[in-house]
Amino acid sequence: MTEQKPKRPRGKARLLEGKCIACGARCQSVCPVAAVEMNPAGEPIIDPAKCIGCVKCVKVCPVQALEMFFTPEEQAILAQLGEGAAPEVDRDEEALASKLSAYRGVWVFIEQTDGEAARVSWELLGIGKELARGLKVPLSAMVIGSKVEHLCGEAFSYGADKAYLVDAPVFANYRTEPYLKAVSQLIAEHKPEIILMGATGMGRDLAGAVATQIGTGLTADCTGLAIDDKRNLLQTRPAFGGNIMATIVCDKFRPQMSTVRPRVMPLPERIEGASGEIIRQQVAVREEDVLVKVLEVIRDRKAGEVDIAGAEFIVSGGRGMMAPENFSLLQELADELGGVVGASRSAVDAGWMPHERQVGQTGKTVRPKIYIACGISGAIQHLVGMQDSDLVIAINRDADAPIFQVATYGIVGDLFKVIPALTARLREMKQQGHRR
Amino acid sequence: MTSGQTIALLLFIFFLSLGGVVIGSRLLRVIRTGRREEGRFAGPLQRLGWLLAYGVGQKRVAAKKFGFNHLIIFYGFLLLLVANAEYVAGIFVPGFDLSFLPTPLHHALLFMADVAAFATLLAVILGLLRRTFFPPYEGGRTVETYVILAMVGLHMVAALMLTATGIGLGRLTAEPLPISTLLAQTILHGAELPTLATLSTIFWWLHGASLLIFFAVLIPFTKHLHVIAGFANCFMRSPRTVPLLQREEFAVDKPLGADHVGKLTWKDLFDPFACTQCGQCQLACPATVTGKPLNPRLVVAEVKKNLLTNSHPPLVGEGRGEVSEDAIWSCTTCGACVASCPVFIEQFPKLIKFRRYLVQMEAKFPQELITLFENMEGRSNPWGLAPAERGKWATTLGDREFDPERCEILLYVGCAGSFDARSRHVTVALITLLDAAGVRWGILGKDELCCGDSLRRLGNEYLFDVMARKNVELFKQRGVRRIVTTCPHCFSTFDNDYRQYGLELEVTHHSRFLQELLSQGRLTIPGTAREAGKVVYHDPCYLGRHNGIYDEPRAIIAAATGDKPAEVKRSRQESFCCGAGGGRMWMEEQLGSRINLERVDELLRQNPDTVCVSCPYCMTMVEDGLKDRRAGETKVKDLAELLAEACRPQG
Repeated sequence: MTEQKPKRPRGKARLLEGKCIACGARCQSVCPVAAVEMNPAGEPIIDPAKCIGCVKCVKVCPVQALEMFFTPEEQAILAQLGEGAAPEVDRDEEALASKLSAYRGVWVFIEQTDGEAARVSWELLGIGKELARGLKVPLSAMVIGSKVEHLCGEAFSYGADKAYLVDAPVFANYRTEPYLKAVSQLIAEHKPEIILMGATGMGRDLAGAVATQIGTGLTADCTGLAIDDKRNLLQTRPAFGGNIMATIVCDKFRPQMSTVRPRVMPLPERIEGASGEIIRQQVAVREEDVLVKVLEVIRDRKAGEVDIAGAEFIVSGGRGMMAPENFSLLQELADELGGVVGASRSAVDAGWMPHERQVGQTGKTVRPKIYIACGISGAIQHLVGMQDSDLVIAINRDADAPIFQVATYGIVGDLFKVIPALTARLREMKQQGHRR
Repeated sequence: MTSGQTIALLLFIFFLSLGGVVIGSRLLRVIRTGRREEGRFAGPLQRLGWLLAYGVGQKRVAAKKFGFNHLIIFYGFLLLLVANAEYVAGIFVPGFDLSFLPTPLHHALLFMADVAAFATLLAVILGLLRRTFFPPYEGGRTVETYVILAMVGLHMVAALMLTATGIGLGRLTAEPLPISTLLAQTILHGAELPTLATLSTIFWWLHGASLLIFFAVLIPFTKHLHVIAGFANCFMRSPRTVPLLQREEFAVDKPLGADHVGKLTWKDLFDPFACTQCGQCQLACPATVTGKPLNPRLVVAEVKKNLLTNSHPPLVGEGRGEVSEDAIWSCTTCGACVASCPVFIEQFPKLIKFRRYLVQMEAKFPQELITLFENMEGRSNPWGLAPAERGKWATTLGDREFDPERCEILLYVGCAGSFDARSRHVTVALITLLDAAGVRWGILGKDELCCGDSLRRLGNEYLFDVMARKNVELFKQRGVRRIVTTCPHCFSTFDNDYRQYGLELEVTHHSRFLQELLSQGRLTIPGTAREAGKVVYHDPCYLGRHNGIYDEPRAIIAAATGDKPAEVKRSRQESFCCGAGGGRMWMEEQLGSRINLERVDELLRQNPDTVCVSCPYCMTMVEDGLKDRRAGETKVKDLAELLAEACRPQG
């Protein structure tokens, strides 16, 4: 009887409890022998009788929720075969790793209109800085437009280390085509690993086009961004109507692209005088080649109009303000807070405030950090427009007013006494703060 | 036969056939252009009754301010038809008259015709004066109107003068003709016989000519067609004071809504021919009254103008001869136009068809409605609040889940009653009363869905269709036998609109249910709502006009306060909308003055301590209006709150 050399055991794939994120049955789709079934929760059930130990599912899993399992006997055989046996090197993995490693750096697209940057871009520089620190790479701003060099300087003050600048008249007004060419060319030449854009009208349009053009993944409307140990970007966003949070990973392609809605990320502190390197890039786009022509720019918002939907502090007045001139009280308080003045429908209907200041069902929906409701009873029409504010302070004479049901703090009293007192106290505190 | 009579005969035949052909071709156009519509002839006996009451009996006309004048002209005309028949027969058979009748009867007829002609003449003169000095609405002094009135007047003058000359010539006996005799003795006094004969011929021709113009020109070509179409419209009226909106078929090749006469039904196209531009609809319309660009009379007129063109240009749009979007969105669907129309023209349902077109085909609607439509679709309430919060108001009351074994009624709380803090007080007041009466009630809590009223009135028929099916299924599944609602909109939508979706159970508004409890003695009122003071009641459109519930709310107020409520001028069927119906609740009111202020001012003229309402929309609009008018001491209470106050132990 000849001694048979034991066959190298291949093991069976096994799910690690609690690690599966129900990514969408990637393991099932790669399994060559249909050994993987998905349960209703979206997790795999692996049939050991069918599994041939090809390791495909283990490799495809984005969160390492699958492992190879060996029985004690198989482990013994493995030990017998000796540690000397070199671990099988996966060629695919190697190729992928080298492909990915060509991409380095975190970029943020600086969205601008007429040379004025969108606030969300600065917010993204804040989170971008954290990511770049984690990856030990520089943070870069991508500035595209016409006569927009000053934005590079601003980007440095918000934390960018470098700025890629594409400055030509053809980029004066946003159009998908030329911007797409510019971004694609920048990516092709400089190979960043992460690109962040604001989930604004422009950002959503551009990001989708870029991701398609260069063939990478894009996660829209992220609410959280982090880095894992493989330099992958963990992109968290609500799914299924906000009922669950999904973490999405783009581990096979670079750059990793995300859009983030305005006001999701905090605005980083501005460091005056910070500087960085500006890399000018020429992009060959001729006006004649662009199919879309901008004939006229018609502004939605009139000059001088206040955007209450984006404000962090809102002081709103209702019918209890009694007269239009009393809104100056609210303006003073808002000025101290660095906020804006809003109004309820009745105040707008009375002609005390313009319609663009209206908060509520038929006006704007706001979610400021602090919402101060003055003389607003809190009809449901108003509540639905502001109840998601982080903190609500209500000032009303009527203790039974429904506004107090949604208020974090309620002040029952005469707003004509309360508001000036608040304003005065704020001023006092500010002065003390300065003195210190 | 003289040559003159031959000419008259030929003219008569020619013009009458011309008139007949024109009327016939218009009718044909209506039928050919319009879509099918069923049920306009069902129940012919009942319809005959309507024809007699509202057509012959002029029931709605007589109730109007200047209606008596129309009554005189109308009945004068009917009587003169007999005299005219004699006249026309005289053309065909020379020398024919009714003298073969027994003398008393013949004389009675002559007498009536004589007096009727004179009375009609007076009424026409009065009409002309009114039209000139106090027109029913601005722009009411049209050439068309003057021509018609003048022609009627001319006919009467000719008729009287014809008989007067007849008397003068000795052809007629003076005895049964007092007015003509008077004319013969005054104006014609001392006239020579040949002069009289010439005058007689002239008036004979004038009499004939005006009659011909009447039948061959005025009736077929002008708004005077209403003398025929009005009758027909009374016969074909909707059985309801405010007609139900028709269902839409969601199928390939079926139009969604209407932007074009070809997408309206034949009845929609027939309506304008019954219209005589009396302006009653616009006087009742809250949008027109408050200066908005909607005028129901003009909407109907545009449909007619459009139908009579050969090209049928678009009907919805901003150009001339089109109904503007602002007009279409101004409607509160209060139904005042339909209810005020003497000949049952259905004005606002046409606007809803235009809305359906705008919403479903063009996605064009006031931007405030985007949120509403999304919220309704996603969360089944207008504010987009979490459906799980719906039953929250009842959490402290223990298990109130509806159970067909245990509950006699399903209390359908509705969106306002569930979510709106103010309306929740009404809900709580109602359940206090229900508990006091020992009514076993249950709610669907978080499973309750919105009825979709606003969606239907706003023309989002598809979404309404979806919601209606869901609700009907839900009620069936839960074994509901009777629904009580606090909101007239839910009530009307279930009790009327949902019938089109096969809902069969009983639906009652809380006003009627409470009155039922009172009359059965299940609910007894120990005290009175003393704090209420002087109460004035505001009829909600969807309770009153749409469903004819006027007495129960008043009886409840009487039971609660011991006194009948004060009434404003526009009450019951003439009630004036609060401004929130038809989905207007969810839109800005930027055109014209505010409807709720117009109504609140009227209510305040009664100096009430309490305005009593029975609808959450009215509650919001009246409360807002009172605040705007700084009438803070005047309270707004729902019927249920008033009654609950009277039930409270009195100290």
